[in-house]
Amino acid sequence: MNISLEVSHKSLCKHGEELCGDKLEIIKTENSDIIILSDGMGSGVKANILATLTSKILGTMLKKGANIEDCVDTIAKTLPVCSVRHVAYSTFTILQIFNDGNAYLVEYDNPGCVLIRNKKIVNIPYEVKQIEGKTIKEYRFKIELNDYFVLFSDGVVHAGVGNLMDFGWGWQRAAEYIRKACCEGNLSAPRLTSMICKICDDLYMNSPGDDTTVAVARIVKRKNINIFTGPPTSYDDDAVLMRDFMTTPGKKIVSGGTSANIASRILNKKIVASITYNDPEIPPIASLEGVDLVTEGVLTLNRCANMLEQYNKGDVSAKFFDSLDADNGAAILAKILIEDCTHLNMFVGRAMNSAHQNVGLPFDLSIRMRLVEKIKTECEKMGKAVVVKYY
Amino acid sequence: MVVTICIGSSCHLKGSRDVIAILQRLVLLHGLSDQVELTGSFCMGECEKGVCVKVNDELFSVTPATAESFFNEHILGRI
Repeated sequence: MNISLEVSHKSLCKHGEELCGDKLEIIKTENSDIIILSDGMGSGVKANILATLTSKILGTMLKKGANIEDCVDTIAKTLPVCSVRHVAYSTFTILQIFNDGNAYLVEYDNPGCVLIRNKKIVNIPYEVKQIEGKTIKEYRFKIELNDYFVLFSDGVVHAGVGNLMDFGWGWQRAAEYIRKACCEGNLSAPRLTSMICKICDDLYMNSPGDDTTVAVARIVKRKNINIFTGPPTSYDDDAVLMRDFMTTPGKKIVSGGTSANIASRILNKKIVASITYNDPEIPPIASLEGVDLVTEGVLTLNRCANMLEQYNKGDVSAKFFDSLDADNGAAILAKILIEDCTHLNMFVGRAMNSAHQNVGLPFDLSIRMRLVEKIKTECEKMGKAVVVKYY
Repeated sequence: MVVTICIGSSCHLKGSRDVIAILQRLVLLHGLSDQVELTGSFCMGECEKGVCVKVNDELFSVTPATAESFFNEHILGRI
């Protein structure tokens, strides 16, 4: 199937805690994507350790092809026992989506995964299993294009408890909110995550009573993005790079003045650069026939990488999305990478621009390689497949 | 007359944006919008000389501080 996953997640820490007691893990295997959400008992350090151990053990074992019985058995025997409560406990949800369109969902004591398909909440049939005295729900089903899977910890269900809402937001109300949100056209996973977290934070009146985590996985068509940045070290490789770049399916983005000039020369098309500065720090974009977007290089990539980092750090506020919707090269690029990309290919030339070594400039322009690494790392954190090819 | 201002990284840091703003204002002030076309370009390969500005095909090195005298000499001077 020519489908892919768009994944996004965010956690709110319990009021006064620095560490979150929920842990989300995204893993890619050869034939599937696995998303694991675990919620450790209690809060703070103890909960964080329980949740991290649980999601890491599950992730590592599932990746190697272990079955759920073995995983649960290992967790039960490994988790440290709490000295106060005398139990070792962490809930979890595992969502595994195979490339062939099959899905496998396992839940242990977490609120049920919400599946929105064709604007409706879908109840998937499940089997109940007893493993090591734990009651585990197992679901097997087929995915469809544009399915939204929303996983969350009980912090979402309890949002507002005893305060704005007697018994909290509740699964049903949360699911209904998600369903309505998904009806509004092409809603990306990051935006849905942000919307749900915002509601929870509001219900908790900005002081969450419990660790709250939301993860959204949306089934989308595979979306390839190709970025060409930096001239190759050898002039002869210009044509090689351009051929690789242009023949790879997907959107084409050129980032960098010299790179754009190379593209223009080889495609034999003219670059039309704008002189409209929508953001004082980011040079204007340009257009070139055959390429979807042309931006300046290092300054734009630097801002873009910082926006990706900000996003991964959990800043998915409305203000962040406003900056993402802004009309400048860096925002356009960051928005594409966050919301419109499942597979990223980067075609990177290693040549140095001697003028960029100039110490008199107020910004170190010779950091392209580091920016490429940063963008790769940040995109991988979002669960995207990234391939970088150097020339 | 076509005046092309480099907006590449290096020239940007040396003040392309201000040079563009100054030239745009001067062109407007002198009522030359019909005769002078201001346009942008990526790296012209002369980063050391930034901000690079081309008048037709001749290259000049301009800074925000010299933008006005550049305009008087090389743009007004040629009209």
